[in-house]
Amino acid sequence: MAEISNICGIQPEGFVKIDISSDPNFVFENDLNYAAKQLFDGEGNTVFVNSYLECQHYVLGGWDYTPLKNSEIFLQESLLYVVVALLVITSLKNTAARFIKR
Amino acid sequence: MKTTKAGTIVLLVLVVFIPWFNMDTSNDYSIPKVSQEDTSFYEVYPCKISLTEFILSNPESIYQNHFYFRPDNRSSIKCFGRVSGVTVLQKGLETQFFISVGTSSLINLLLQGLIWMVLFSLIPKNKELETRKETLRYKNLIILLISYLLTFSIYAESRFYEKNMYLLDFQETKSYLLIYLIFILLVKNFVDIFVSRSENLINYLPYIYLITGLFSGFNLSFLAVVFLYYGFQSYLTGVKNQTFNYAYLIISVWWLFNSRGSAFFNVGKLRGFTSSIFEFNANLYWIIFTYLLIKGILRVYSLNKESFKLSIFTKNFSITSGLLLLLGTLSANFPIFNFFSYYFLGLQRYGVESKTPFAFSQDVYELKISWRGIFPSSETIGEFYGLCLLFLLFYIVKTSNISPIRYIGIFASSLGLYFSDNRTAIVLIFLSTLIYISIKNGRSLKLVKLKYVGIISIIFSFILIFITQSSSFSDSYKFMSDAIISKAFIFKKEYAISSFTSFISGLENSNASSTIFGFISVIGYLLNRSEMWGLFVARYNPTYSELLFGTGPLNFGQLYGEIPINSPDSLLLPHSSILSYLVFIGLIPLLLLLFLFLKDLYKNRDNIEFVIFSIYIFVNIFKNDTMNYFSPFVLYAILYLLVRNKKELIFSGKSFIEQ
Repeated sequence: MAEISNICGIQPEGFVKIDISSDPNFVFENDLNYAAKQLFDGEGNTVFVNSYLECQHYVLGGWDYTPLKNSEIFLQESLLYVVVALLVITSLKNTAARFIKR
Repeated sequence: MKTTKAGTIVLLVLVVFIPWFNMDTSNDYSIPKVSQEDTSFYEVYPCKISLTEFILSNPESIYQNHFYFRPDNRSSIKCFGRVSGVTVLQKGLETQFFISVGTSSLINLLLQGLIWMVLFSLIPKNKELETRKETLRYKNLIILLISYLLTFSIYAESRFYEKNMYLLDFQETKSYLLIYLIFILLVKNFVDIFVSRSENLINYLPYIYLITGLFSGFNLSFLAVVFLYYGFQSYLTGVKNQTFNYAYLIISVWWLFNSRGSAFFNVGKLRGFTSSIFEFNANLYWIIFTYLLIKGILRVYSLNKESFKLSIFTKNFSITSGLLLLLGTLSANFPIFNFFSYYFLGLQRYGVESKTPFAFSQDVYELKISWRGIFPSSETIGEFYGLCLLFLLFYIVKTSNISPIRYIGIFASSLGLYFSDNRTAIVLIFLSTLIYISIKNGRSLKLVKLKYVGIISIIFSFILIFITQSSSFSDSYKFMSDAIISKAFIFKKEYAISSFTSFISGLENSNASSTIFGFISVIGYLLNRSEMWGLFVARYNPTYSELLFGTGPLNFGQLYGEIPINSPDSLLLPHSSILSYLVFIGLIPLLLLLFLFLKDLYKNRDNIEFVIFSIYIFVNIFKNDTMNYFSPFVLYAILYLLVRNKKELIFSGKSFIEQ
């Protein structure tokens, strides 16, 4: 539930949850008071949702954008290690150069 | 030596091209052409296809001018070099396609930094293999301090960076760790490169107009690291300049004490040399930055003044002029080149879109449309071309020798100056050439004669400027002297009148002040600055203390955020560096600088090159935003010091008065 509120925002007053899976022809209606949100699935596909109901439906269906977020966090951490490694290498190289000069 | 250079170029080519081949190999996409009707593929598959794949599927995007490639700095690392989205806009009859290319800000730091370091390494090394010890003092400490300062700038301007960074929480300290370490890596390697080339820095200065060195998504100039390094060194080694240090310290305390509230400023084309917000932390950063920049410039000058060679300098000036013109033309004609030049040269603004530098307006006036190429301001680049012609003139008169590369310089600069439509620079260069050649040829010319020449040329230039502003003849002096204030009244809103507007309107009671301001207004009218300066008057809302001492260097936040006006939609700068610096440092330091400048001019009155150069830059600074850009700020400051103090070495021979 916390995931839904994080992504879709606060549940509107008087919101009634509808079981959409039982209605294959269900059409989501745009909520003019709801700011459209972009969601991602595990493969990085994207969809725009225009109502809280639609957003909730997609998030429950796995469109919770965490794969992309996780991938970015992983890449940022990798970048950190690469930078540290490069710093160590350049420092060692400089030290070695100074040692050889002597 | 040749092998090293070839290796450097190969590395450069690889670094430039490889990132744009970053494709998603896990799927085989059938990439459609973008069209007005359907861009759904790019909505469904953001960050899936590489820029290269896009270009191969849409080869017309290379040359058709309705394609616009734009860096998407707020994209993920994985998305780097891939198309993150396509937007279609209808502008009149033209359908425009905006293609966002993933350029993660974190990767930009490493990639752009690497490219500029490789380019910098093409500058020849110092003659002596052993680097001078004085340039290495406190090196490691300074590297850490610069990295810290740059990281602090991101904290101080986090509102700007929130829009340019993906998934970095600016409230958490750990977010800054990665950035700090990247800065250490960059600064450390860059310092190693430039200290071993320090002697040649001054000779290669013109290239800062070509490679501005701004990280995409950052309000930072990579080239500023050179001056920050020497600035810190100057401070730590205790290079004596106590009057400046104490004066700056005292005024800084006032600026910081006065930094209340918060006013955001859209940096636009001033990116890299202006604060994005008027707040305590941002003001602190820019105060330290400016101090170190000034100290750094003085240190670079004092360490390397003996290495300045007019022949190498004018050669580099000529090459830069030619390249600026060439790259500007390519950027205007090829959208993909426009994107690459913006990214790899670290430009403040995308290259000009107008294909025809010879274009005239289609209205009744049929005025020349200014063309700026890849530089953010047409007037400033016009000044650069004019300066190139001026130094080529000094060189040719001195050596009576002109090589093919300098012919290219003369041709490119003359063409560039015409394209830029900087009429003041054209007039000044024309007059300077006449005066300089006549003085150099007239060996018996005495100072008295020069005075006459000076007075005549001033009158002549005023007449010329007057003529260029058509229909001016019929206007009365009264009309011209009221031009600025009447424009200010047009722009002001009824409910918010700036203190400066009130102050100027109140001057009518005081004859002397009114006459002075009226005269400035006439000059502004003749220079076609009434509207811009009127806008400034309508906006500028200082207290008396702020008028006297400013609000802090390189910070427009308060000026543009305080008073709402009936302004045109686009950002219009004051169009006078004097007015900009009035906001930054206030009237008293500004008058002091003017006094020092006039004193210098009088003291060096027999140094004709200095007199011509000083008048040229002063007039341009007076009527243009030149000093709000990093490149001219650095180039003018160093050239000013060089030409003022090094006449014998630079221009050789006796002064014209002694001859």
